[in-house]
Amino acid sequence: MENVETKLREEAKKLLAEKKADIIVGYEKGTLPLLAPPCFITDPEDAEKLVWNAFCVQNLAKFVHDLLSQHRESQKRLKPADRTKKTVGVVARGCTTRSLVIHLQEKQYNRDDIVILGVPCTGYVDRKKMDALIAGEEILEASVAGDSVLVKTAAGERKIPLKEALADNCLACRFNNPLISDLMTGDHAPAMDVTQEYARVDEFEKLSPDERWNYFTREMDKCVRCYACRNACPSCYCKVCFVEQSQPRWVGIGEDRSDTQVFQLMRLFHMAGRCVDCGSCIAVCPMGVDLRRFLKKLDKDALELFEHRAGISPDEPAMLGAFKESDKEDFIFTPK
Amino acid sequence: MEKRLLKKDKLAGIIKNISREMLVYAPVKEEDNVLFMALKEGREPLLDFSNSRNAPKTFFFPRTEIMMKYTRTGKGMELSTGEVEVREAVLFGVRPCDARSFALLDMLFEQDKYKDPYYIARREKTTVISMACVHPPYSTCFCTSVDGSPTSGEGADILLMDIGDNYLVEFITSRGEKLLKYFGDLPKAGEAEETLKKEIAERAEKEIKSHIPAKDIKPILDNNFEHPFWETIHRKCLACGTCTYLCPTCHCFDISDEAKGSDGIRIRNWDSCMYPLFTLETSGHNPRTTQKERWRQRVMHKFKYYVDNFGAISCVGCGRCVMYCPVNLDIRKIVEDIAKL
Repeated sequence: MENVETKLREEAKKLLAEKKADIIVGYEKGTLPLLAPPCFITDPEDAEKLVWNAFCVQNLAKFVHDLLSQHRESQKRLKPADRTKKTVGVVARGCTTRSLVIHLQEKQYNRDDIVILGVPCTGYVDRKKMDALIAGEEILEASVAGDSVLVKTAAGERKIPLKEALADNCLACRFNNPLISDLMTGDHAPAMDVTQEYARVDEFEKLSPDERWNYFTREMDKCVRCYACRNACPSCYCKVCFVEQSQPRWVGIGEDRSDTQVFQLMRLFHMAGRCVDCGSCIAVCPMGVDLRRFLKKLDKDALELFEHRAGISPDEPAMLGAFKESDKEDFIFTPK
Repeated sequence: MEKRLLKKDKLAGIIKNISREMLVYAPVKEEDNVLFMALKEGREPLLDFSNSRNAPKTFFFPRTEIMMKYTRTGKGMELSTGEVEVREAVLFGVRPCDARSFALLDMLFEQDKYKDPYYIARREKTTVISMACVHPPYSTCFCTSVDGSPTSGEGADILLMDIGDNYLVEFITSRGEKLLKYFGDLPKAGEAEETLKKEIAERAEKEIKSHIPAKDIKPILDNNFEHPFWETIHRKCLACGTCTYLCPTCHCFDISDEAKGSDGIRIRNWDSCMYPLFTLETSGHNPRTTQKERWRQRVMHKFKYYVDNFGAISCVGCGRCVMYCPVNLDIRKIVEDIAKL
């Protein structure tokens, strides 16, 4: 990991110094343990701030989209001759590159608007799992050494196997290495265990409709509609989300559970064939809503009905933007 | 002010006794979180806890409340007040930072000129029992930087302090003294306990690890509404509002009508300066166009406007926004960076 980090800093510095990128989106050391928040580097000297470790959580493709769409907006008022191009560099693991591919498939920007600094990934630490493992103590320091997370609390030091602390989506990740990149900063990471990819979905499918609805209701009752899931998601990039439209207003702003359910259902369905299982929505949820089970179900459906995995091929069109003769349609006439 | 001594093992029983006659909100364990909730059968009040995830402001200023109801009839609109009966309540186990937030919120909701009947009704019927932080619970606590103290009784009616075998119970206000009867015949505290209290208070303050120049940045903010610095903080912000929802002092609200057929309610909801709908006007114009302006508002409101209006910083240093921000936007670092401008 140290080697990757050193290479990453060197390459980022070069890209900025040679003006091949105007800004680099990466991760930096946080002010609290277990955190490596997104950072934005424009000065080549600041490339030293970049880190790459198991605490880097967020899918940075979201910020790439933000920066490029803001730039495009800002250019609209300028005369064509005065318009400039902006190139965004991004530190990208497997899932991040899949989101970039989705953006490209959906014609959000051009391939040459971005420079991808590929990083191999062995998964990130789930803060909520760590808190549960440490059981109430405050974590004062944390670092990864080999296969363990070393944690310091007021009671002393503890060693936790990395596997126990990794996020569920990382443990079952199929694409932990970048699928597209301009520069690779390390060797390919070993594959994760994909046998359990849909285990929780398979289990869920066996339940009765009532049981499934009850589970959905219970989970959605936790939601406070802060929309952090939507805002962290690279695939949620509508300029104005329907929940924030006020003329007409589609959902109320109070605590009515049906309003929450409408929001979540709408978002979930918009994720069909577009969710890369990066886990950002789950990581940022302040209430611990189990969004992944529903997202994985849609992912499985996309695979079974349309032989589609989200964002793995820039040459293929978006799932719902294309028609194949092999597309299944029986679910329209005889829904299960 | 009455000062009494209470054997430590008696406290839980007293709280439960009170909860038989009054509504008691206390920190309880709920799944993985410690939350302030109404005590009912089977819910044990926590006595040994760090702090709750949610701020107790919610009992005076709920996330959603009905202000009025209306019905459209053939003769016109029929209006009725939406007031629900406010019950006598006890808020137990409030940390000094959170109790101080009540004193700060009072400045806004109960001014000479403007009075908020909803907030005041609840505040007047609620007795606040605070629990001093003999050992400040988190490394992110910074109450001493914003005029607070881990053992302060500001905003509380009764203050409890763990002094070893006993709790030192201070009945600070007359509302607090009304609860004396539930505590039974307790021995009065003497000189020795007073000295002990002072020692504990001094030690607790020294244990606060986080210090920020919160009081130094006011003159800088006064002169830097426009500054390139504001471009730098918001970029990673997800606009989720977790910081403002968990904040004990954030109090912005939005009023909205919800109609179903010819019936409707006017509700008041928590708003957040982090949301794109914040200060969006009917015309479609928003004076705070992007997250940059919204972040500036958050910092200015806490460290400048509130000081201008009420002479106090609108932050109690509980550290919730620091601990729970999903992208580690740390208000302590922002304040430090502003101090260097």
